[in-house]
Amino acid sequence: MFQYNFMQNAFMIAILISILCPLIGMFLVLKRYSMMGDTLSHASFAGVAAGLMVHMHPILSAFCLTSVFGILIEILRRHFKNYAELILVVILSLSVGIAITLISSGLVHANIDSFLFGSILTVTREDFYIVLFLSILSLFIISRLYHSLMFMIFDEEGAKISGINIKFINYIFAVLVAATISVSIRIVGILVISSLIALPIATALQLKKGFKMTLLFGVLFSFIDIISGITISYWINAAPGGVIAIMSVLVLAFVLFFQNHHFLGNIHLPNFKNMSKINCMIANERRDSDGKRKFRIQSIFKPAWHKKYQTTKFTFKTSQSEQRTINGRYSVSKSNPRR
Amino acid sequence: MIHIKNMYFSYEQSSYILKNLNFSIQDGSYISILGENGSGKSTFIKLLLNLLIPTSGHIENTFIRTAYVPQRFDSLNTQFPITIEEILTCYQKARHVSGKKIIDESLALVKMQDYKKSLIGTLSGGQCQKIFIARALMGNPDLLILDEPSNGVDIKSQNEIYQLIKNLNQEKKITVICVEHNLKAAIKNSTLLYHIAQGVGHICNPQDYIREYLIENTGVENYVSI
Repeated sequence: MFQYNFMQNAFMIAILISILCPLIGMFLVLKRYSMMGDTLSHASFAGVAAGLMVHMHPILSAFCLTSVFGILIEILRRHFKNYAELILVVILSLSVGIAITLISSGLVHANIDSFLFGSILTVTREDFYIVLFLSILSLFIISRLYHSLMFMIFDEEGAKISGINIKFINYIFAVLVAATISVSIRIVGILVISSLIALPIATALQLKKGFKMTLLFGVLFSFIDIISGITISYWINAAPGGVIAIMSVLVLAFVLFFQNHHFLGNIHLPNFKNMSKINCMIANERRDSDGKRKFRIQSIFKPAWHKKYQTTKFTFKTSQSEQRTINGRYSVSKSNPRR
Repeated sequence: MIHIKNMYFSYEQSSYILKNLNFSIQDGSYISILGENGSGKSTFIKLLLNLLIPTSGHIENTFIRTAYVPQRFDSLNTQFPITIEEILTCYQKARHVSGKKIIDESLALVKMQDYKKSLIGTLSGGQCQKIFIARALMGNPDLLILDEPSNGVDIKSQNEIYQLIKNLNQEKKITVICVEHNLKAAIKNSTLLYHIAQGVGHICNPQDYIREYLIENTGVENYVSI
């Protein structure tokens, strides 16, 4: 399939999107602004319609209008602090209103479906260069603001006291969200862009890692979602947006499934293949300063009939350093002698 | 030092939360701010941190590096995916503090070096508070403001935290302002108490505060000091 130019363009854009979307998504999800992605994707719809009407490149027009609406959201949010959700609804309604009015009045003479659902066939080399420019610019700004954004989202008051210009960074961030959405609509489509911003990060959050690792896993999951989505959509001849959204949900479900088993088993599973056979745990036993017995679980293994099992309460640390206490059985084996 | 003169504060159109505060904080002192819930203690702290602007009057602050330790359960999202190292790195970058070992050194001050790679959500209340103190100490502050450091912390950790704060005050000569609900800790550690009641504040020494407290709550005017 790589013999076609449009597929090469689509994959190159997809790789850029798979890096950019989770980077922005991480900050949006943790800021609890996931809905902002949805609102601005609708704003980009109005931008595309306006661009097609005045014969401007739709990605650039989408970027301009989405940035304006992004900054408008920040200004309104600052003035109406208690109505943040309502502001998103107002902007969303205004954007959809503009878009539908322009399209239905016959002022736009182009197929808008490719922007709504995403398209591989219509991706041009010009699109790629615009996406490349906006992506490099966005990545540069994010790398410069990375620590400030992280600090601001974790502890806004602390960041303000430490001299970070919260107001300025919020405006810059609104433009970054606008840029990310604008570069993604060609492939992913306006209707599902918000899922690509939120879902890979939602999946990565299940792994309970630090900020940087969660971000890297988010990029990995996003890459899997987009590349598999485009490949499948090529073979089944469907719009990539829909397939990418389905893949995102499937990857999230897959990770949740294994994470649940992780919680049930309460330790890191060394080998997924043996999971159905696991019903026993080995633990290192030690006594703490109060004389209480503590068990550090080492691994899960297939029980052997000749081992002696005991039921007891386990207090241990998981691979994520969480302390957990469970009732369970343990065995004493030669490799883990009881002290 | 901090010099507060004729300071009033109110949120927009509402009535005054703080009324005519006149107060000076000398370098090297340890001051506990006491008062009932809603008396204006946190508002007072926000004014000192420049997060709010007085409605009238003024605050003169000559401290150069102010550090703030928030209430643990006030603003902290324990599910936030961030390690201790990342929290301290953010602060280091924001404050432009240089030095490769500064994170290890500040964690060593609160004896939390082993938790550098741990997620914030996995720590206990006392450990979290120590991390925030370590973070605050990174920029070599001359003023340390703490908001209820014993909130949600067990007794053993409370003792450790207060001992640490007292050492910082006495050995490193860091001025400490501490919003307190823990009367015992306030009386034991502070050089001065500032009592805010219904928006009006006054300075008192620990013995005077106990007398006021007893009169207010039990009606006993005379007490025998032991």
